[in-house]
Amino acid sequence: MIEARPEGAPGTVGERLYRWLDARFGVSKVVEFARHKEVPVGGHSMVWYYLGGTTLFFFAVQVVSGVLLLMYYQPGEATSYESIRYITTKVPFGWLIRSVHCWSAHLMILSLVVHMFSTMILKAYRKPRELTWVTGFVLFAIALGFGFSGYLLPWNELAFFATAVGTDSVKSVPIIGQWLLEVMRGGPDVTINTLYRFFALHIVILPLVMLGIVSAHLLFIQVQGMAPGMAHQRPDRPGLKFFPDFLLRDLLLWLVCLILLAVLVYLLPYGPGIPGMEWELGKKANPLAPAYPGIKPEWYFLWVYQLLKEFPPHLAGMEGPQAALLVVTVLMGIWALVPWLDRRASKGKPSPRFTDLAIAAIIFMAYLTLKAWDIGGNAQPGKLPDPRSTAWVCAWITLGIASVIALVRLLAYRQRWMYFSGAALLQVVLNGVFGVDYLLAGAVAVVVAVAGVVMTSRKDPAVQLGVPK
Amino acid sequence: MNGLWPLLLLLGSTPPAPAPAADDGKLPASLEALFEEKGKDGKPILGDGERAYLKKLPLHTRELIGKDVEALAVGGASHLKALLALELPSQGAAIVFSDNCILCHTDPESQKKIHLFSADPKATGSAEHLNLKSFVSDVHFRRGLSCSGCHGGSPEKDVMTPDINARWPKPEVRHVDRTWIPEFCARCHGDPSFMRGFNPSLPTDQLSKYRESQHGILLLKEKDSKAAQCVSCHGVHGIRGPKSRQSLVHPQAIPETCGRCHADPKYMAGYKRDDGTPLPTDQLEAFKKSVHGKALLEKGDLGAPACNDCHGNHAAMPPKVSSVSQVCRTCHSQNGTFFDGSKHKQAFEANRWPECEKCHGKHGIAKATDDLISDAHDGLCGSCHAEHAKDNPECNATARYFRSSLGELVTTTERLRPQAENLAERGLDAEPILASLEEAGEAIVQTRSRVHTFDRGGFDQGAKVGREAVSKTEALLEAARKEQRYRRNGLLVSIGLMAFLAVVMGLKIRDLSRRRERTSKDPGNR
Repeated sequence: MIEARPEGAPGTVGERLYRWLDARFGVSKVVEFARHKEVPVGGHSMVWYYLGGTTLFFFAVQVVSGVLLLMYYQPGEATSYESIRYITTKVPFGWLIRSVHCWSAHLMILSLVVHMFSTMILKAYRKPRELTWVTGFVLFAIALGFGFSGYLLPWNELAFFATAVGTDSVKSVPIIGQWLLEVMRGGPDVTINTLYRFFALHIVILPLVMLGIVSAHLLFIQVQGMAPGMAHQRPDRPGLKFFPDFLLRDLLLWLVCLILLAVLVYLLPYGPGIPGMEWELGKKANPLAPAYPGIKPEWYFLWVYQLLKEFPPHLAGMEGPQAALLVVTVLMGIWALVPWLDRRASKGKPSPRFTDLAIAAIIFMAYLTLKAWDIGGNAQPGKLPDPRSTAWVCAWITLGIASVIALVRLLAYRQRWMYFSGAALLQVVLNGVFGVDYLLAGAVAVVVAVAGVVMTSRKDPAVQLGVPK
Repeated sequence: MNGLWPLLLLLGSTPPAPAPAADDGKLPASLEALFEEKGKDGKPILGDGERAYLKKLPLHTRELIGKDVEALAVGGASHLKALLALELPSQGAAIVFSDNCILCHTDPESQKKIHLFSADPKATGSAEHLNLKSFVSDVHFRRGLSCSGCHGGSPEKDVMTPDINARWPKPEVRHVDRTWIPEFCARCHGDPSFMRGFNPSLPTDQLSKYRESQHGILLLKEKDSKAAQCVSCHGVHGIRGPKSRQSLVHPQAIPETCGRCHADPKYMAGYKRDDGTPLPTDQLEAFKKSVHGKALLEKGDLGAPACNDCHGNHAAMPPKVSSVSQVCRTCHSQNGTFFDGSKHKQAFEANRWPECEKCHGKHGIAKATDDLISDAHDGLCGSCHAEHAKDNPECNATARYFRSSLGELVTTTERLRPQAENLAERGLDAEPILASLEEAGEAIVQTRSRVHTFDRGGFDQGAKVGREAVSKTEALLEAARKEQRYRRNGLLVSIGLMAFLAVVMGLKIRDLSRRRERTSKDPGNR
């Protein structure tokens, strides 16, 4: 601890430098703030506090590896694919940088998704942290934008057709759909103009927006501190010092992440080979070639992709994709507004409905993602997978996962309000096991969920919500 | 000038010429009347489908049909329905409805079965060559040549004139003696100035070639009417160009077309080869199993030879010993050139052996594999050499050398390919390695061809390129493996350093935690 002495007083070089800076920028106030900064302990597991940090770490890796790639990457019809090939084959450690960039992108999204769900389940979004949640939600959307725009940049066959399919869904936006499509593509079709746009978006526009919102997100956390456990979870220990105790743990985890990244990059340089998680360069894009068979988006878009497939061509006076995107928009809207919808949590009261809503979201997205992967479809070369057997196998897998989650909730946390997750699971079972139409099963599930909410609202919430007495 | 005003006014007030009346698709009254006609079941014979088709036809064609109905050339609703069922384009419909030959010979009310053309010959009991559908898709019909083109007569007249079939021998002769057919077809097909008007690229020398062919000699000189003539291969009343898959002379149809006679032992009984032995009939079966037959018939490779590619079309003849190798050389020219410069050439000529056929066979040519090269006494080389070359040890050693060299090249490239693919999966640049393997593969093809030099020096010119490509591939693979080791070692060192740092940090964290615990238990030490 450096004593508060006048600027010209004797001391070591470090002490004098500190005093020099303090006289000009008031550094000691920041140091004082950091010294008293604590992370709450005891409300729940500490693990969840580190996920934001790991996401930030992977983002930093993205920035560094992205800048290195930029030194050789040349956007253009005759150069995009060629420069990526040059990077991976000729540039020293170019293969490493590209693979790190791809792996880190997926791990960042994975970490972000887990971070978001943990925030949801632990109700860390509650008053006064509503804006932290909203900025986090926007960061999630930007991360998806990064993934989508970066995908096209190698200008290979897979990227070209996946972008063509992905951007095509924008057409479903009412009134301005076609205009929006042309703005995105830089014309009616995916051409090199689309790549120029995506390039600008990927390396300038999104990073700038990301930087601003990440700054706001971090600032809110610094000002408000990390969310403590809910009142009923009774934190039983004093907080953990952020400097250096928590920061050291954070750095240690980052180091572990870096080791993990290195191992993955060496063992699986082109990804694990799962659809939506592979980045072998393959052939150069050829707009005149027939569409690439079995095009699938990145894994985090798969649930939307599958939902689009589940909708009929026309529904309730709307086109099928339009209706599907409307459902996605409504769900996303609910997700973004959760801090205001969850009034119990904002008052510090237990809010099991929203815990269950998060679990329902996991079940809903897991089933669709598994289906999009055609698990259990017995796909043969030149033959399409059987959708019925895919649905059957995916439903049983989802049922298994959901049962484990429900048991853990019931036995370890004594949670009993499971109408949302039960309804989501009912849809899975009806569709996958009994072959009921996906939308019809969804409608049944919505009725069950609403009935659950209505029934439990009439009785004593404290009893119904499984709150420990 | 002023005097012109009244004239100009007059011109200005002249009513415009009446526009031609728009075609409203109305049917002539005689045609409309047929729509009233009912069948045995009491329902109208013609329906909406026929009406819609007729409405799409040009006005003059509808009027033409109306006149045919009035003149009773179209005998009734059933007759019209049968003709409309052909769904001809308007040009085809115009030909049919202006040709009294077709109109009469398609009317089931007026024709016997042996003269009745029908869209469904089985249903009406007509012969297959009277298939109306085939007839209207005939290459001659589609160019406007109808019945009278061959049969004679006047299709515009409503009675049969005596000049019909006058060009042909009498029925009792022409059905037995077929020698008139080639000359008859050549009336048009042998006339360049006439054929130029239809298809300038079509040859007109078929008859002269045919006269020189075995078929032509048999038919025209020996008056053997069993010998194939134009109709035997091209058919009648449904002739299509050779590019049509339905044509009897499409490349993939030719083996069966030739086989209709040549694979029929009864039909071919009595026909002999030059040496007096009976002409075999197993060619078709052998061809189907051959490398050429499989390529043509199973893989659909139209570049593979059918019967006519070796024997000729209109000048079909079995190739003589002296020419059989030239036939093979039309495709396998490089092998032929190597053979011409080999020691075998002289020996084969001295013994009057057909060159290629001696080792590879003819109709049942199997896919040539490296196993063919064998100095064993039951092997391809060994069996011949034991008999004719006194088991020359030098030749046997050469055969073994060819076989072992090729075997080594093939097994090495097969072993290297998965290694290259494995390295590619691990993120290494395998493109130069795969390109080098392609070079090796190409060299193997060339080396196999050079077997036909029957000489180590000639063979080695190809094998050397293959060995060099293999060496280059191995060197590239070794470089890639070295790079892979470098990456692995780099990773291990990095992980080691990071793990060490992680352990240090872990210890520091543990130390900090202990200090915090001591402080919390004894706040006085703070």
